[in-house]
Amino acid sequence: MAIVKRKQTQAVDTDERSRPRDMDGLIGEMADSNPVARRWAARDLAVFPDAAAALVARLGKEADATVREAILISLTVIGNRAAVDGLVECLRSEDAALRNEAIEAMKNLPDAVAPIMAGLLADPDHDVRIFAVNILESLRHPDVEQWLIEVISEDEHINVCATAVDLLGEVGTTAAEHALEALKARFPNEPYILFSADLALKRIRED
Amino acid sequence: MAEITISSEDFLKFREFFYRKTGIQFEDSKRYFVDKRLVDRIEATGYANFRSYFTFMRFQVSGEEIQTLTNLMTVNETYFFREEYQFKCLVDSLLPEVVKTKAPGSTIRIWSIPSSSGEEAYSIALYLTEYWPDIERWDVELISSDIDTSILKKARQGLYSARSVQHLPSKLLQRHFKRLPGDEYQISDDFRQAVEFTRVNLAEIADTRAYRGFDIIFCRNLLIYFDDLSRRQAAEVFFDALNPGGFICLGHSESMSRITSVFKVRKFPDAIVYQKPEAR
Amino acid sequence: MTPKRILVVDDAATVRMYHRSILEGAGFEVSEAINGIEALEKTLAAPAPFDLYLVDINMPKQDGYGFLRDLRSQDIDQAPAVMISTEAQSQDRKRAWEAGANFYLTKPIKPDVLLTHCRLLLGQGGTA
Repeated sequence: MAIVKRKQTQAVDTDERSRPRDMDGLIGEMADSNPVARRWAARDLAVFPDAAAALVARLGKEADATVREAILISLTVIGNRAAVDGLVECLRSEDAALRNEAIEAMKNLPDAVAPIMAGLLADPDHDVRIFAVNILESLRHPDVEQWLIEVISEDEHINVCATAVDLLGEVGTTAAEHALEALKARFPNEPYILFSADLALKRIRED
Repeated sequence: MAEITISSEDFLKFREFFYRKTGIQFEDSKRYFVDKRLVDRIEATGYANFRSYFTFMRFQVSGEEIQTLTNLMTVNETYFFREEYQFKCLVDSLLPEVVKTKAPGSTIRIWSIPSSSGEEAYSIALYLTEYWPDIERWDVELISSDIDTSILKKARQGLYSARSVQHLPSKLLQRHFKRLPGDEYQISDDFRQAVEFTRVNLAEIADTRAYRGFDIIFCRNLLIYFDDLSRRQAAEVFFDALNPGGFICLGHSESMSRITSVFKVRKFPDAIVYQKPEAR
Repeated sequence: MTPKRILVVDDAATVRMYHRSILEGAGFEVSEAINGIEALEKTLAAPAPFDLYLVDINMPKQDGYGFLRDLRSQDIDQAPAVMISTEAQSQDRKRAWEAGANFYLTKPIKPDVLLTHCRLLLGQGGTA
């Protein structure tokens, strides 16, 4: 017994795939009772842009973390409008894990998310607006600071503003100064707002 | 040209950003180290100051600059018994747990990626031979992979500098290496034969499809240089490669917290490692 | 007397800084984590268990509920947890309780509210 060397790494000829690997077959596989099969189906669906809606639908029902991860990665790879629309609906879910997974996936889809960002930031649900600001954190887009300035200038909900100020601490420029001062004046009795706005201002002004 | 300086607020801003992305937290004492590298990159990329460089880096679509910066901010040197506590964990904790459920006569399979010039794979082989009593009772298969064929060639050669072997106990060095002129050390043929070096591009599903049935994976100081999506995809590859209950070790300053929640966090006396959930 | 050690778990850097400044100002020792996975790693790696956890709900990779459930299933000395959220619905309080939280607070938190709850859970009395 010792350290041994095989001649060749065993090639895997058969794996956990049973039905045909076309889109409909894979979507069918997503309902299999075996999570390994569902996971492989989710992964293989990454090359089918039209599968976005089916992937999102499954995401809402899927309890297995590894299958969810595969679905999210595939949705990110597909990254089309249907994928993003589906992810937006996940933001409204009661399931905290699902909401946060959707935010993360959308952070990686700047091109698909940018056109709908203004709409998300104006959503009637303040939680969705908070999540929209969360998405801005990794969104590589020239309008990010302007959106944040608009949020802290106009949004009524304190936590939407608080989330935006946090990000302005990292990306804020002199363009945001006035709005930050105005925010402090709007919430004079909120220590967190004063703290975070002052932090952002300090960083902006130190240059 | 005006001298580029990094203010305290710049440093804090950068530190927070880098910690969020990588999990690495720079102490205040690392000011000089961090500032110097930031200034180097600001100059190299042609920006006038930290602010404009930071904006560029943060919003760059390709994520290349973050990777370049991460490379500079982390220690990349490879050598024998680097992060030795993980090898200790391997023989003291991980392997004992793995063999509990392994059928007698079956092979234990370990994957080390990236191989780089082979120090990690050979370190594992040395550690198993010298410090794992059960090496007599089990067959172990050691595979080590890299995307770069020239480094694989080097790894197969097994020739190392004095610097690379300096942390090896001298008994081990004498027993398994031959000292050559020019203060180089040649690892024995036994060990060169013991490791299978293969070329793999982790991002190529065709390359990784065959990698299955591993009990332990070492992937140290690689994923930290990947972007978010690539990291998660790599984690999926490793998940597939592991047997249920199998373990994966990341680098000292790396964490699955920046990658994925599919692995279970396990604490052992010498290390925290990640485990693929057992079969249900 | 050694200061009590609190783990602040929140993905927002400014929120962690804010809570840190309040808690350090009151003499506590503060550690941080950005999500549930890092929080569990820091908990397991800590030389001694934390005395209190301050846990945000919405975080990437692993949310606050997931962390608390994992924490409560670990074979380590347990400690009280304050769950923190931007939401204020009753089902969230219930969920927090079920996951293993002792208190549930909504953001933004005022310093005296934070300190009162922490001190209460640490057996130091409720006055700020």
